[in-house]
Amino acid sequence: MSDSWIIRNLRAIRGRAYPRIVGSSREPSWVFFDITLPLLTVAAYVYMYKFMDAPKEFVGFVILGGAMTAFWLNILWSMASQLYWEKETGNLSLFLMAPVSRMSILAGMAVGGLFFTTLRAGSTLAIGILVFGVSLSLSNPLMLIAIFVTTMVALYGMGMMLASLYLLFGREAYNMSNLLTEPVYLVSGFYFPVRSLGFWTAAGASVIPITLGLDALRQLFYPSTGAQYAFLSIHLELGALCVLCAVFILLSKVSLDYMEKLGKTSGRLTLRWQ
Amino acid sequence: MAMRGNLRTFKNAAWLGWQMESNWTDPFLFATYSIVKPLAGTLILVFMYLVITNGETDTLFFSYMFIGNALYMYVADVLFGVTWVIHDDREHYMTLKQVYIAPISFYYYIFGRAAIKIAITSVGVLFTILFGIFVLGVEVSLVSISWPLLIVSLVLGLAALCIMGLALGGITFLTAKHGQGINEGVAGIFYVLSGVIFPITILPTWAQSISKLLPVTYWMEAMRRGLEPGVISGLGSTTGLDGMGNWFLMLVLILSTIAFLFISVGIFRLADKAARRKGKIDWTTAY
Amino acid sequence: MTSAVEISSLTRVFNPKKKKEGKSVTALDNVDLRIDQGELFGLLGPNGAGKTTLLKILSTLLLPTSGSASVAGFDVARDFLEVRKRINMVSGGEISGYGLLTVRENLWMFCQFYGIKSSLAYQRIDEMLELFGMASKKNEKVRTLSTGERQKMNVIRGFVTDPDILLLDEPTLGLDVNASRVIRDYIVDWVKNGKGKTVLLTTHYMAEADQLCDRIAIINQGKILACDTPENLKRLVKASRTLKLEVTMLRNKDQFGLVPGVEKFTYVDDYDKGVTVLKFVLSDESAVNDIVSELLKEHAKIISLQKTEPTLEDVFIKMVGKGFE
Repeated sequence: MSDSWIIRNLRAIRGRAYPRIVGSSREPSWVFFDITLPLLTVAAYVYMYKFMDAPKEFVGFVILGGAMTAFWLNILWSMASQLYWEKETGNLSLFLMAPVSRMSILAGMAVGGLFFTTLRAGSTLAIGILVFGVSLSLSNPLMLIAIFVTTMVALYGMGMMLASLYLLFGREAYNMSNLLTEPVYLVSGFYFPVRSLGFWTAAGASVIPITLGLDALRQLFYPSTGAQYAFLSIHLELGALCVLCAVFILLSKVSLDYMEKLGKTSGRLTLRWQ
Repeated sequence: MAMRGNLRTFKNAAWLGWQMESNWTDPFLFATYSIVKPLAGTLILVFMYLVITNGETDTLFFSYMFIGNALYMYVADVLFGVTWVIHDDREHYMTLKQVYIAPISFYYYIFGRAAIKIAITSVGVLFTILFGIFVLGVEVSLVSISWPLLIVSLVLGLAALCIMGLALGGITFLTAKHGQGINEGVAGIFYVLSGVIFPITILPTWAQSISKLLPVTYWMEAMRRGLEPGVISGLGSTTGLDGMGNWFLMLVLILSTIAFLFISVGIFRLADKAARRKGKIDWTTAY
Repeated sequence: MTSAVEISSLTRVFNPKKKKEGKSVTALDNVDLRIDQGELFGLLGPNGAGKTTLLKILSTLLLPTSGSASVAGFDVARDFLEVRKRINMVSGGEISGYGLLTVRENLWMFCQFYGIKSSLAYQRIDEMLELFGMASKKNEKVRTLSTGERQKMNVIRGFVTDPDILLLDEPTLGLDVNASRVIRDYIVDWVKNGKGKTVLLTTHYMAEADQLCDRIAIINQGKILACDTPENLKRLVKASRTLKLEVTMLRNKDQFGLVPGVEKFTYVDDYDKGVTVLKFVLSDESAVNDIVSELLKEHAKIISLQKTEPTLEDVFIKMVGKGFE
């Protein structure tokens, strides 16, 4: 094992991403269920807005938010609580014994998950646009990509941090992920402009990267009307997201190291069925 | 004799369900979790509504939407709860095969586990409705509740949901880990087509035809007529079911529940056989 | 020469999260142990003795409460990254891996965590699958494997990264005779041919420990009770050796009772079979030679021979006070 530390960790990322990507392609039943059926929840909100004669852009907001839920769910279930599942199946101890950074293992999970999650989100968005006749502007594609990428990096960094906290969880892991689903949809303004929660609530919620990411995407997709519903300007939100990227990646490293040490001291690191 | 055994299975399964749901944390945290989660889900809709109406909640539609969304928790949780039993027992605790080969009625085992889910969900539903009444001004008055209609439709509806969950549970035998999307999807169909947060009249005509085939549509209508008769009568023809009398509504609910009983048991049996043929009773699919 | 494993005054106490969950448990109590490079070292003990706790500390999954342990000269608490580069661990009854991946893919994935190039990884994997008779299963999904096959795959996972020190926690648990034999034979060959490769093996099977291990430590309730070669451990126990011989009909037998080292002697003439059955209780195993010499003098032929001697189980029972059941 004379390869450099970087090469070793890159291999670890590749190794852990592999089962994610291959597993998804070998069990194709998810294609129908995970892409088309969740659109129904989005459809319900769209029809509610139509019944209320809401402005047209709100239909777009709902579709965009519905598409982005895929990422938050991926963070909760395939990142944060994933280490709990790995512990239960006996894989966690093998990962922790390996001479690679824990971040590499989690990064592999993130890379593997991101691929199909993006596919799911993109499909939801595309189908929603077609079915409900929504028009989205693509006048600033570079900023769109920048916002999306920084949101994802910050979000998955947050996922790694949450994974470290979950390292010591028992069944609280599943319930915690459950608990964080709807409340985050609410405070992050998945289906409505987050500014309607009030400035301070929206500011607090901005700690969750997807809050600012969604707000910026709404402004980009609706450049003419988006600003009236915006929380902060796009550039400010991009800057904040860049800061969140750095913060969460750093925090996840610190947190992972600390939680692992705590787990090794208390003996709960590999304790199953807690 | 067999009934006694089945009841014992039901009771033991309910006890197990309670342990699974609750003993991961202390009672206070568990109670908080059971309330916060459903409330947050409801508040999403509330804020979506407030953004459009600039803070106004004193409308019939708000009450209609709020109550529907609160009651929908039963739909999502019961359907999910039944299928999760099979998924969790198989993938996580790997105890499904032991339960499966035991000389018990698997149906009673599933329904026992579902019963606890219903009980816990009821706390969330009740709290959410009370929150809506006292904090948000939802129009429900104790004086105007039609208790017979409410209780009968609640019991019938929950029975129908458990039965539908059975069919989904059977399908879970055959799907991979990410097949939990099936719950989301089926619950989503009901969410869109059953008049949960908007009257079915806003849907395209072809969709309304499907709505009228779903028992949950009639259940929602019956529950609202029992809980908030003033709101329903105020909304009039917009609900799409105003032409149906209460008795006719109950009859439709009963008949559709019976029909689903046969359909669901049939699906479950077919799926069960297929799972045994393909050796999927104790397979794990985690990745 | 650096020891493979060096343990000094190692203690590990588990405290419950809440008072109502019970008292503290001392899983390891002042353990001292040294394992040399190139040794196949066994750890014997009943359930709850502390074997797995010890292995978890050595594999850097658990920190000791006090004391120290080093693997290949690196402290397990401080230099865990260096330790991890040099070890691997396989447990009996493991269910790790991903059911949807093939055997080859699972093994490759774990190789990636050890930084092994894909080409080298596949080469090693294919060689080992062949050695373990699993070549035909390499493209089968893991969830289709039988228990024995799965455990073979787990064992391969342990060896394929070519560690300096391999920790085996009951690797043949629940396996049939053939599967167990394949694994045991490979372990022995690996240590013998490995130039400094070391194995620390925990097992319930006395015969396995006796057959495989250069030295054995007996552990109970977190304490090491004895540590020596199997032969020396057996010498601690004054259990009788018995010898039963079936020989062609003998005329003179009394002289056998006078052979030095024979504590007791009985015989039975079986006229139907035309044999004499001689039974000896020996205090000294060397008496066997003299007994055979006497038989030769009598021109008798040995038809069958049965010998019993102290076993590790006797040692274990003497030390621990009970068997494994």
